[in-house]
Amino acid sequence: MKLAREIRLLTMRKLLETWRQPTWVFMGLTTPLLYLVLFAPVLRRLAGAPGFPRGHVLDVFLPGVLCLIAFGAGMGAGWGVIVELDSGVIERLRVTPVSRFALLMGSVLRDTAMFLLPALVVIAVAIPFDYHPNPGGTATLLALLCLLTAATSAWSAALGLKLREISSLAAVVTGLQLPLTLLAGILLPLTLAPGWLRGLAHTDPLYYTVEAARLLSTGTIANWTVGEGFLVTAGLTVLTLAWATAKYREAAS
Amino acid sequence: MTAAIVAHELRKTFAARRRQIEAVRGIDLRVSAGEVFAFLGPNGAGKTTTVRMLTTLLPIDSGTAFVAGVDVGRDPVAARRRIGLVGQRGGADLAATGRENLLLQGQLYGSDRATAERRAAELIELFALGEFVDRRAQTYSGGQRRRLELALGLMHNPRVLFLDEPTTGLDPHNRANLWEQIRTLRESGTTIFLTTHYLEEADALANRVAIVDHGRVVAEGTPAELKRELGSQRIRLTPKADGTPIEEIAASLRTLPLVEEAQPADGAIRLTVADGARVLPALLDRLRERRIELDSLTLAEPSLDDVFLAKTGRALRDTGDLEQAP
Ligand SMILES: Nc1ncnc2c1ncn2[C@@H]1O[C@H](COP(=O)(O)OP(=O)(O)OP(=O)(O)O)[C@@H](O)[C@H]1O
Ligand SMILES: [Mg+2]
Repeated sequence: MKLAREIRLLTMRKLLETWRQPTWVFMGLTTPLLYLVLFAPVLRRLAGAPGFPRGHVLDVFLPGVLCLIAFGAGMGAGWGVIVELDSGVIERLRVTPVSRFALLMGSVLRDTAMFLLPALVVIAVAIPFDYHPNPGGTATLLALLCLLTAATSAWSAALGLKLREISSLAAVVTGLQLPLTLLAGILLPLTLAPGWLRGLAHTDPLYYTVEAARLLSTGTIANWTVGEGFLVTAGLTVLTLAWATAKYREAAS
Repeated sequence: MTAAIVAHELRKTFAARRRQIEAVRGIDLRVSAGEVFAFLGPNGAGKTTTVRMLTTLLPIDSGTAFVAGVDVGRDPVAARRRIGLVGQRGGADLAATGRENLLLQGQLYGSDRATAERRAAELIELFALGEFVDRRAQTYSGGQRRRLELALGLMHNPRVLFLDEPTTGLDPHNRANLWEQIRTLRESGTTIFLTTHYLEEADALANRVAIVDHGRVVAEGTPAELKRELGSQRIRLTPKADGTPIEEIAASLRTLPLVEEAQPADGAIRLTVADGARVLPALLDRLRERRIELDSLTLAEPSLDDVFLAKTGRALRDTGDLEQAP
């Protein structure tokens, strides 16, 4: 009860902050659309290739774009944390009796909202262009990806609290972002990849999310791969939330 | 009087690049309820580190601290309800307006919206925030922002308020205003623990002062006590340039009773005397006998600067960081 209220207050604070930076809202909406406009046409040529089973290119490509939006939506959290460490906001909030978990959830829920908004726009825009989402599957998919955004947001926030410097944070985040997204086969499914690469992909937690996402968007819900995707993603979310909360609790030095 | 802050043997050591920085090395504090207590010291003395330990932000390495009757290490949440902190870096949320900042702060302490609005209105009045409180905080001047931050620290009527360098970066006019507001708070009974580099500030605001240097308290007492401990007062006189040589005047004044020292310095003479009120008449008589005319004469209490110099062997202005310390 008290926790829910604190989370609501702190999420509103973050949402308001984002809302007042219209450039961010704008970029958040346009970047995913650019993938559709500038990249999807290239893929049309691949229709019928392995990994594009039914010939509907967008059915394979779009879940990947949604995963990318979800992953990217949480990544910025650490930057905000460092800015607020420098201006003393986090210190001020930490002197209040507010739960440390609520302090974290403010930015996590804001990021989740900032994933859902462009995701829905992209889905709506793609439907006239031969995208065939399954309603139940897509709703489940969005739930899965909200978990992913929460995980990346918490992870980035924890790193921000740990590293305390924009430059180190940027190095770690961008350094990991590329291998993680490439290995997961986000833009092109790994069915096109050689065996060793497919093997390596299994070490990337994001891989399981992406695999589950592709199935979900076609309406396959009761499936082992989907279960695996949920298990890995939810596990990751729990771990990163716990880590980031611990960081807020100590935020020593 | 009950104690608002009691700390015993507080210590904090930071590990930085294979080196240990002993930021706080055994600090004892006792601040009574309703008192304004100034924690005075140069850069790197350990002021902020001490405040962060007392306000639950930093784990205490060893020692104990009670604030408003609560053991800070054992029950940080209870302590947080009773204290307010205006940190060195301020902490206003710059993307939000002043009023949004205030309302959120009140609600995070558990007030309902209406109560928070009432309290915010009081503080907007007290700190004269009305003109800009509905603008976003990133547009504020330094002084406006500082006032907002002070109001934020007071939204929940804390029993003990910690102010870490509240006037740093303010112009003299804003500093004077802030002093006035801190005095108002003192009258309302809030216990205030403030850190500062400025001796004038400690002298003007505080009932008691602790001087910290290299993580230790080197002197403590009321400003008057500290000066008295240093004992004597200073007289500085400047004779007219044409007359008797200055060394000769100094030698003559040195023979007066109660004069401890008379040093010529840059065309003036600095006297250290035990009791200025009794020395002055004799001093003036002596000058008249010898027909020495004066350009100026001042009698000064020893300042906290002198106390700092006497206690640490260094002037407050030219101290380096702890890093270079022994
Ligand atoms: N997180 C930290 N890690 C390492 N060293 C630290 C840390 N925080 C403070 N220190 C060191 O501890 C010492 C005391 O710092 P502190 O901030 O308490 O000084 P201060 O008295 O508040 O100084 P100032 O007047 O400059 O604010 C300094 O040498 C500082 O470099
Ligand atoms: Mg400091």
